[in-house]
Amino acid sequence: MTDASAALSEETGSTRFRKDGRWAALLSRAGLSIAILAVIAYGSAVSPVFFTTGNLVNVMTSMAIIGIVVVGMTFVLVVGGLADLSVPATIACGAILSLALQPMIGPVPAFVAAIGLAGLCGLVSGVLVGYVGINPIIATLGIGTIVLGIVQASVGGVIVYGTNPETAMLVKSRLFGIPTIVLIFLAVALAGNFLLARSWWGRWTFATGGNPKAAEAAAVPVRAVKAGAFVITGLCSGLSGALLGLTLQSARPLVGTGYEFSAITAVVVGGVSIMGGAGSVPRAVAGLVFVQLLTNVMVLQGVRTPVQGLVLGLLIAGAVALDVALRRRGGA
Amino acid sequence: MAASGSALRMRGISKTFPGVKALSDVSLCAEYGRVHAIVGENGAGKSTLMKILSGAYPPSAGTTEVDGAEVRMRKPADAQKLGIRMVHQELNLVPDLSVAENVYLGRMPRRRGFVDRAAMLRDTKAVLEELGAAIDPKVRLGELSISQQQLVEIAKAYSAGPRIIVLDEPTSSLSEHETAALFRILRTMKAAGIAIIYISHRLKEVLEIADDVTVLRDGRLIDTRPAAGITAAEMIRLMVGREVTNVFPKTPSEIGTPVLKVVGLGDGRDFQDISFEVRAGEILGLTGLVGAGRTELARAIFGLTPASEGRIEINGMAAAITSPAAAVKAGIAYVPEDRKDSGIIPSMSVRENISLPVLRRLSRLGRVSMSADRRLATKYTRDFAIAPPDPERRIEQLSGGNQQKAVIARWLSTSPSVLILDEPTRGVDVGAKAEIHRIIGELVAGGMAVVMISSELPEVLGVCDRVVVMRDGRASPPVARAEFSEERIMALATGEAAA
Amino acid sequence: MNLGATIVRFRVAVILGLTLLCASLLVPGFLGATTLSLGLDRGATVGLIAIGMTVLLIARQIDLSVGSTFALAGIVAVMLQPSLGIWPAAMAGLIAGAAAGAINGLLVVTFKVNPLVATLATMLIFRSAAHWLTDSQPVPGTDIMLSVSLSKIHLGIFTLRSALFIGAVLLLHVWLTRTVAGRNLFAVGSNAEAAKASGISPGRTVFLGFIFAGLFAGLAGVLQSLTTNTGSPVFGSELLVAVIAAVVVGGTRIEGGRGSALGTLGGVLTIASLTTAMEFQSVPAYVQQVVAGCILILLVVLDRTVRPGPRSHAATGGTH
Repeated sequence: MTDASAALSEETGSTRFRKDGRWAALLSRAGLSIAILAVIAYGSAVSPVFFTTGNLVNVMTSMAIIGIVVVGMTFVLVVGGLADLSVPATIACGAILSLALQPMIGPVPAFVAAIGLAGLCGLVSGVLVGYVGINPIIATLGIGTIVLGIVQASVGGVIVYGTNPETAMLVKSRLFGIPTIVLIFLAVALAGNFLLARSWWGRWTFATGGNPKAAEAAAVPVRAVKAGAFVITGLCSGLSGALLGLTLQSARPLVGTGYEFSAITAVVVGGVSIMGGAGSVPRAVAGLVFVQLLTNVMVLQGVRTPVQGLVLGLLIAGAVALDVALRRRGGA
Repeated sequence: MAASGSALRMRGISKTFPGVKALSDVSLCAEYGRVHAIVGENGAGKSTLMKILSGAYPPSAGTTEVDGAEVRMRKPADAQKLGIRMVHQELNLVPDLSVAENVYLGRMPRRRGFVDRAAMLRDTKAVLEELGAAIDPKVRLGELSISQQQLVEIAKAYSAGPRIIVLDEPTSSLSEHETAALFRILRTMKAAGIAIIYISHRLKEVLEIADDVTVLRDGRLIDTRPAAGITAAEMIRLMVGREVTNVFPKTPSEIGTPVLKVVGLGDGRDFQDISFEVRAGEILGLTGLVGAGRTELARAIFGLTPASEGRIEINGMAAAITSPAAAVKAGIAYVPEDRKDSGIIPSMSVRENISLPVLRRLSRLGRVSMSADRRLATKYTRDFAIAPPDPERRIEQLSGGNQQKAVIARWLSTSPSVLILDEPTRGVDVGAKAEIHRIIGELVAGGMAVVMISSELPEVLGVCDRVVVMRDGRASPPVARAEFSEERIMALATGEAAA
Repeated sequence: MNLGATIVRFRVAVILGLTLLCASLLVPGFLGATTLSLGLDRGATVGLIAIGMTVLLIARQIDLSVGSTFALAGIVAVMLQPSLGIWPAAMAGLIAGAAAGAINGLLVVTFKVNPLVATLATMLIFRSAAHWLTDSQPVPGTDIMLSVSLSKIHLGIFTLRSALFIGAVLLLHVWLTRTVAGRNLFAVGSNAEAAKASGISPGRTVFLGFIFAGLFAGLAGVLQSLTTNTGSPVFGSELLVAVIAAVVVGGTRIEGGRGSALGTLGGVLTIASLTTAMEFQSVPAYVQQVVAGCILILLVVLDRTVRPGPRSHAATGGTH
């Protein structure tokens, strides 16, 4: 909060703010919908392939894998945990273990074990952040490095291949024309939205992100809530990784590289504040939809991969700068 | 340095923020060798006026003269060049630098391009001695207590050789004893011919130290007059625009059986061997100098930093308080000291702030029932007359007093048998203070036991049934209302024999 | 108690000593001049970047983009060699590094973007730019002999790179402890509001800090490109953890306001000797990563749990 706005709310507590705040919120929300529509319109205009069922299903499928991570990452940002940089490691954990354990314990137990272990990694990060009080970036960077190393060591640092083609078929199957993987993503998003927006756990998450000291003094178990956000992200990225592994039927240790940034980009572009205490799953998903459609249009237009990275980077910086500017105007 | 005469003259100062007029046509004149107090309720415009004076904001209209010459200040450095120094309410110090580096922050002496540490230490030592503060200039500032830091802040302003010093609520974190020491320092500065501008809520202190008093209300100048001819009641009338007869009325209530009993409580650091009990329908005051261990004790009873020795009993049953959740279960509620820092969750609505401790009870299958949530918030908004009466409004948009009411309301839905309030009226204006006292009075009348921590003696003496005084982590035997006197409490707090 | 406090205070030296002891026991000839100079040369890359990171962390900032800046500056220095000549091209590389830092500074100071997010974004941007410039292919330099002369060992132990690193660390130490600007840096990191009220400009300090960090990441990148005679877009992608680990092992606090150049020197030497020892034992790269990560986490946890903090309520509110 700037000095001027602090003084203002101190001196007046005026009704104006509410209007301003709403106006800002409205603008940023409508802004995203307009942006999505604009990308769709542009894409349809410049590429005959864009607005076809095939292409849109492709977009949705690739969106689903990141989208599951996005749901988890939203919790981390809202709780004031900045970001979870261990996502590439937990995705690798999910992908590699769900394939590597198949011959030993069967596909379904392997799937569950992979996700469980990824959740355990999230728990370690969460304990470091919530209970020990370590900066989340450092904690997740360190844990990510360790986990990735351990996962590689456990399979000897090589690529792992699937041994059970039926599981791949299952993941690639469709229900009412919609890929199963997309349905799984939708289920995760709905569950995440319920947890964050409707449940007491979600309210605790907002309280902890908004003012951890006050939340603690209001008997909210802030340490557990913080740790919980990282467990949720660990589970989500483990699930995402396992689905990715089953789809590809192979997993490299670096399979998850870049997913953390894609997820953060989506969440931040969706207008979830990096400072914690505000945001929602639908907004993060809207951010994801925008980013994915934009990427898709760029791919269809033959834009080279580095340039796509450039655009995404600019998008993160721009979205956050806009968020800061709007907040300052909104006095919030 | 001039010894007398007009140091500062502000004329017709107005300040408009988009859509809001924070100050309109305020004039102020401070003279060398005099203390000029500025009083007013929260939101009266004191802070804005000071920010203009310190160069933090430019005024929308009006002129400022220093030594008769008109000046324009665009940033704090401009004001500092003119010899204007601020002592801020929120300490403006750097915890990771030494005391000496803090005193010389922004103007460290150099020798051959490097910091002249020897000179800096020597001069800091001299200034601290002159102010009568026994602080080692080499020690890291973060290791000092708040009141020592306040002294460093004053030394920082004083050592710059200012012509005008502005103190914004300098006693808010000082005990009465330390306040007396501060006043000795201010008198030294006054004798040295410095013009002092003193902003405070505490009218008794204003009457003690000030030569002139300016009253602001709603961004306007109400009056400026010599302090000699004014009484506290008159000042209050000017501040609120009405007469407030009894500042701290006591609501009568029936005192019952002991509810909270603390036996030999200690944390091995901030407090030791604390024993007392609070009865239903009673307000127990907990006072003492800042740093005496009161807040630490309250945090321990509420399970935020559990005690390592002793035991806590609720209604005669031993209670293991290992976390705030356990404390809530045992029937203890706690309103923390610093409302902004650890009371409210600014990004949430009044409703969400109120229902926080009982969310799980309002939920079914994990889902918070919105109707139950709304009912609760509406009830307390009405019962406590929280203004504006809209539970959906973000709590940070409310005034301090209304925020505090919401924080108290938060606990009532847990039906506590003991409510611990840590400085519940610090920084709220006179009107809201009376309302908070009324609410506390109603709660004890309903049979609740209340522990109220306060540094403000008139408040403690006015509201409480008994008082426990803490000093250096130890508690005095309770003083009954019949034996209340400021001298007695101060004697217990400072360990000096009563005069 | 007192011994414990002393150990905590000088833990960098203790950790470094223990590491060297273990390494010399496990790796025969570890303390020989050749091995040491090789290790030092390796460590110098992490070290040069860590110098910039130390300054930023003290100012309560962080730069996650240093690895990308490292690659970008190296690419610029190599790609411009045919048109500008070797040394002007190297200068251009340094300027590219400083410019990258300036972009970070601009985002953080002018646009008020959280430094983590800002540098996360620029990390992506600079890396993409590196790929874009090179078509994702390594670019060879013009003078293959230069790399040989740059790798020459002087005075029995120093390469150009390691000498630069040691010199820069010592200068940084003097600057941080003795100069007004150095002390002001701590003030900005510890309590920016207070620094501002005392006439210090936090924005300017932070901005210059980012340029400094970019410059040193660029310097490390240019030296890397010259010694390998290659500019590659994948250079430096694994450096970040090592750099942060080195600085944090050296006792610089992530939350700003505290840190030292000599500590960073100790941290860099610790990481370098560990890496060198492990390479000599042919420990796979991913296990080395695990070790680096464990050290980072362990040290941060240690710092959290045994830090001789201020008394509970005497802590002042650091605003942000």
